[in-house]
Amino acid sequence: MPDDGARTASTLEEIPPAERTPIAGVKEALQRRWSRPGGRGYAGLRWGGAGLFTAVAVALVVSLLTSSSQAFAHSGLSLLWTGTWDPTHKIYGAETFIVGTLITTAVALVLAVPIGVATAAFLSELAPRWLATPLSVLIDLIAAVPSIVVGLWGLLVLTPAFAHHVEPFLKKIPVLEWFFHGPALGPSMLLAGVVLAVMILPTMVALSRTALAGVALTDREAARALGGTRWQVVRRAVIPGARTGIEGAVTLAMGRALGESIAVAMVIGNAYVIPHSLLAPGATLGSAIINNFGGVTPGLDRSEVIALVVILLALTALVNAGGQLLLRSRAREQVS
Amino acid sequence: MSPVATTTGLGTGSPGDGGAGLGEGAARRRELILAQSKRSLGRRHLAGRVAVALCMVAVAISLAPLVALVAYTTSRGVHALSVDFFTKIPTPAGIAGGGISNAIVGSLIIVGLAAVMAVPVGIATALFLLERRGRIAGTIRFTADVLTGVPSIALGIFAYTVLVEPFAHFSAIAGSFALAVLMLPVIIRSSEAAMRNVPRSEWEAGLALGVRRGRVVRSIVLRGALPGLVTGNLLAVARAVGETAPLLFTTGSQLFNLNPAQPTAAVPLTIFSLGTSPFPADQQTAWGAAFVLLVFVLVLSIVARLVAGRLNRQAR
Amino acid sequence: MTIETAEAAAVSLEDVSVSFGSHRVVRDVTLDLARNRVTALVGPSGCGKTTILRAINRLHDDTGGKVTGRVTVGDLDVYGRDTQPELVRSRVGMVFQRPNPFPTMSIFDNVVAGLRLNGVRNKALLHEAAEAALHHAALWDLVKDRLQTPAVRLSGGQQQRLCIARALAIEPEVLLMDEPCSSLDPIATAKIEELITRLSSDVTIGLVTHNMFQATRVSHYTAFFLLGEDRATGELIEYGRTVDLFDTPRDPRTKAYVSGEVG
Repeated sequence: MPDDGARTASTLEEIPPAERTPIAGVKEALQRRWSRPGGRGYAGLRWGGAGLFTAVAVALVVSLLTSSSQAFAHSGLSLLWTGTWDPTHKIYGAETFIVGTLITTAVALVLAVPIGVATAAFLSELAPRWLATPLSVLIDLIAAVPSIVVGLWGLLVLTPAFAHHVEPFLKKIPVLEWFFHGPALGPSMLLAGVVLAVMILPTMVALSRTALAGVALTDREAARALGGTRWQVVRRAVIPGARTGIEGAVTLAMGRALGESIAVAMVIGNAYVIPHSLLAPGATLGSAIINNFGGVTPGLDRSEVIALVVILLALTALVNAGGQLLLRSRAREQVS
Repeated sequence: MSPVATTTGLGTGSPGDGGAGLGEGAARRRELILAQSKRSLGRRHLAGRVAVALCMVAVAISLAPLVALVAYTTSRGVHALSVDFFTKIPTPAGIAGGGISNAIVGSLIIVGLAAVMAVPVGIATALFLLERRGRIAGTIRFTADVLTGVPSIALGIFAYTVLVEPFAHFSAIAGSFALAVLMLPVIIRSSEAAMRNVPRSEWEAGLALGVRRGRVVRSIVLRGALPGLVTGNLLAVARAVGETAPLLFTTGSQLFNLNPAQPTAAVPLTIFSLGTSPFPADQQTAWGAAFVLLVFVLVLSIVARLVAGRLNRQAR
Repeated sequence: MTIETAEAAAVSLEDVSVSFGSHRVVRDVTLDLARNRVTALVGPSGCGKTTILRAINRLHDDTGGKVTGRVTVGDLDVYGRDTQPELVRSRVGMVFQRPNPFPTMSIFDNVVAGLRLNGVRNKALLHEAAEAALHHAALWDLVKDRLQTPAVRLSGGQQQRLCIARALAIEPEVLLMDEPCSSLDPIATAKIEELITRLSSDVTIGLVTHNMFQATRVSHYTAFFLLGEDRATGELIEYGRTVDLFDTPRDPRTKAYVSGEVG
């Protein structure tokens, strides 16, 4: 670690004389010590940690790819657009699950993005501090509620409520009935989307709030000084200024919705056909993995389920990498 | 040269010279704009009030389901609680009574082991990021950020392939490993941030005294960043303790077990299996377990925030 | 403080004090900004000159500052009971210390941002105002072919001139400038100063500056601020024609500061 030695030695001049040890010859001794690298143990610790972490990340990808290789050899990429999942006849297709994942995530985002951004705007820009602070803390805390608890509530409370009240009501709304037809059973794509929305809302709010708070005071004052009302300042200066950050928040929330498995598995109804209505039961990649992995025998069947994991992983990694890049470009903008 | 000497005749000069003159157009525009401003102000204020009202509705919608969920879980869950609930193991399906002692002990073992695995590696990696710039550090940081978003079910399947399949049985350790991978990126990034808050001058003061780098890190950086480290790690634990998907195919058992190499029960798994059971008695136990889990997670989060709050106060 | 000019005042401050919580930042300022003249507010940092400037367009409303005394812009009582702060601000433009064009907007959208905020939707008027404002800010020839490019692509000095254009586009009676050159290099500073001199024939300018040379170069009148005896509250020490204030300061504190700056 030659750079360590150089860096510490260069600080010699910065030490005020009063703080230097007043013993003769100590300067040389200090320099000897400074020129020594940080110590083998410490360097080993750092490199060991980073190495282990990297190894785990690599192992994650490699092991899942190896375990699913049999499946990709059997089905090839047609796994992606085959709509049937029938292990008995050795037909494996992920299309139903991919479509289900995308639909439930879309429902969740349609609900959570506007509500989340509006909530963040209220907490960060419009509410008085005495109200904003406790509400923000409350939402941050609620973000910690485990998904299994949300799932349990969705299963035992929301499912009957949706079957008896919400879904019959939605079917009566003129234009929306196109999305909501078929029997009102309770477990459905819609319910899964709602449960996901509840789960990603705190993320949406927290990240959007950070993005809004990051907009420079000078931008707000510019809009204010031009004669904008309080809301105009928020709408025309603050929200546009936070746009990249909000997009990052949406992407990360989307990643979470795509990857959530347990709560969805509890409320989606687990039907393996492409749904024709939001009231129909369906399946997502996550719920299909949960429902299939436990029962399958080692070999092709299991490999096919792990192939679903790989698809899910690729999907979320893509979305999350995009989100991280967005958040980073925002950080860079703010620096420049 | 004093400014007095450089004072130009500007103050005495005729105000008009050199000016382009805004002219007629300007006066007309001024009138138009001011009139439009006055005319639209009422509408602009109204739009603002409507927007604020809509935002407040959004706040209510954000909070309502989550508050309802917590309240409902509490009201159902407290009824399930008893001494037996914490000391007994579950009764056979559908039969009332019993407890979740196996799951509580199992969860503590699994999450404790996960923390033992993840915290040292995470802090060491954070130190690596702290001391090194450049491509390697950038790649590790990006990997950590992307890994934060990896679906937890994928981590469970990963742990299954490396720690369950080779040994042909479930174990607490396999579950711990999955949770450790889940916690790692959170720990790395929060620890890095916490240690970055320790002023560079404190590092240098220590180094200037001739203390070795490793000891400076131990006695100044880690100590200075302690509240931040505690907060980050507690939040990681709070997240891990409620995770179900990583344990689903790694730890599974209903037995009371203290050996980490053996199948072990966990609270989230108990909630899943009892919650999806058709028997009301089982569902009741599931609410009790959910309540216990919720309280544990919320207390951890609150403690973590209080520690962070203390940190902020000290910084001021 | 007596007003030593017969010129008409575009802005008048009478006994204006500004406090934040229990801290009085500046007190008892009585001062006129003469119509179509540049009035420089000078003094060491922390003596309340920016605070006074921001009191004129009620920018303290949202930051918890309390303003007492009387401020008038033309015939408008700025802190009057029925006065809407938005309408004050559409008559008073402001330019800030650092160039702050809206980072997500194009050059054109930046210039007309004020008009749009004031409810103007008429396209012809927007274009007319944008062109006029960019001409006044000496930017038109530079940007006329790339009005739709992001404003942040301009250099610092150009961004600041864009901000001046943005402020001018709503045709304000008064232009408040809060150390507009403090983040610019000497060449960009010279251009802004030239601009100020030219604009002063049409608009009343209040200019906060810590640069005494700048005050002598561009201003007609100068108000000198200093911390009072309690070392916490700023006061207006002397106000007069720039020539007089620098050549023959009446107050010994002004004299000390004016000569001390270069001594």
